Amino acid sequence: MSDQLKSIVFTAIVALVCSLLLTGASSGLKARKLRNIAVDRQKNILQSVGLIDPIQKPDPTQIEQLYQNNIQCYGVDGANRIVADGSEKNLLPVCFYVKEGEPAAYILPVVSRGLWGKIRGYMAIKNDGKTITGFSVYSHNETPGLGGEIEKPWFQENFVGKQILDQLGAFAAVGIAKGKVAEVIQSDHQANYVDGISGATLTGKFLTGGLKAVLYEYEGLSEQFRKGPVTLPN
Amino acid sequence: MKMTQSPTFKAFSEPLVKNNPVFIQSLGICSALAVTVQLKTAIVMALAMTSVTAFSNLTISAMRNVIPRNVRMIVELSVIASLVILADEILRAYFYDISKQLSVFVGLIITNCIVMGRAETYALGNPPIRSFMDGLGNGAGYGLVLVTVAFIRELFGAGKLLGFPVVPQFFYDHGYMNMGFMQLAPAAFIIIGLLVWLQKSIVKG
Repeated sequence: MSDQLKSIVFTAIVALVCSLLLTGASSGLKARKLRNIAVDRQKNILQSVGLIDPIQKPDPTQIEQLYQNNIQCYGVDGANRIVADGSEKNLLPVCFYVKEGEPAAYILPVVSRGLWGKIRGYMAIKNDGKTITGFSVYSHNETPGLGGEIEKPWFQENFVGKQILDQLGAFAAVGIAKGKVAEVIQSDHQANYVDGISGATLTGKFLTGGLKAVLYEYEGLSEQFRKGPVTLPN
Repeated sequence: MKMTQSPTFKAFSEPLVKNNPVFIQSLGICSALAVTVQLKTAIVMALAMTSVTAFSNLTISAMRNVIPRNVRMIVELSVIASLVILADEILRAYFYDISKQLSVFVGLIITNCIVMGRAETYALGNPPIRSFMDGLGNGAGYGLVLVTVAFIRELFGAGKLLGFPVVPQFFYDHGYMNMGFMQLAPAAFIIIGLLVWLQKSIVKG
């Protein structure tokens, strides 16, 4: 066999063995990986409505159990009606924290621009249609220690109790202040801002824009909640 | 011959401190900056790196007499890349939270010069067991640096170790503050520089 042929055959065999090995590992672990991703999402949804404490680490079965018992997901169509998820195209996905048959809070998926990539998370709003019950982030590429702090409990806790309406009742969304709210925001708008992260001005700016866009998109649903109790379709 | 004098043991022990790949050859600095903000990620990264280096050395050494010279780099790279992807898959399946934090850096072990360097300079010319030990030693040497840097950065940057607060509240009450600078990449550069100085002055003799 010539040297050239030998090299080609050898590389082909190495490539084949490597790809078989990786295919095996990837498909063998697939179920586990998908479950991890699903549980991580569910954990973030539960966190946004305050059903689990981010500091304690509940195990996956507990999370799945809690999620099944408390969360129901639907879609919102163009006319702001709540319909079963997947029944039509162009639905805005929304989940509800259902307590004794009534929605106690609604949960919006948040996708925002960040400094280095997309920020993805959830924001939950109480059934009064204006008070935030929580915010969580499950994926981002921000700088660890700076913008990366958006995934930390201390930052997310600041959202709890904030308002998406200003004092006159007009839509204001919720923003990240450049510094401490108490120092840089006028007193009549302090309910619409959370403390910023020092060294992460741009992350804050982008996330403010992203949250505003998401909240505006779901404003129709929020209005329904403000008018009175909303019933979920069966 | 004493066990500590055997070439197999030396293959493991020399790269730990005396011929440390980070200090002496300045390899693998990039990830040493990126994953050392917290001790936990540094430890997992060190373990992943050590196993990849050890097993790539073992595999390549076992094949060293049959690999055609002209394609040896390609073969080395295929083996290393496969092992790294395997490590990444395992992390994703069993340590999802940590793998999320390490994100792209596990994949970047492929480009870590230490792995390729050891395969090329050591595994191609030495028997499998000794190569395996050399891989373990180099991975551990790299890991040692990573963990030391992460220890210092997490302790001074966040007042925590492995996520547990260790600086007593009493200190904070009396004006102690975490050093935000430690959380940034330049801090790792400075710490590594100081460690190189320390290592040089100890090993001089």
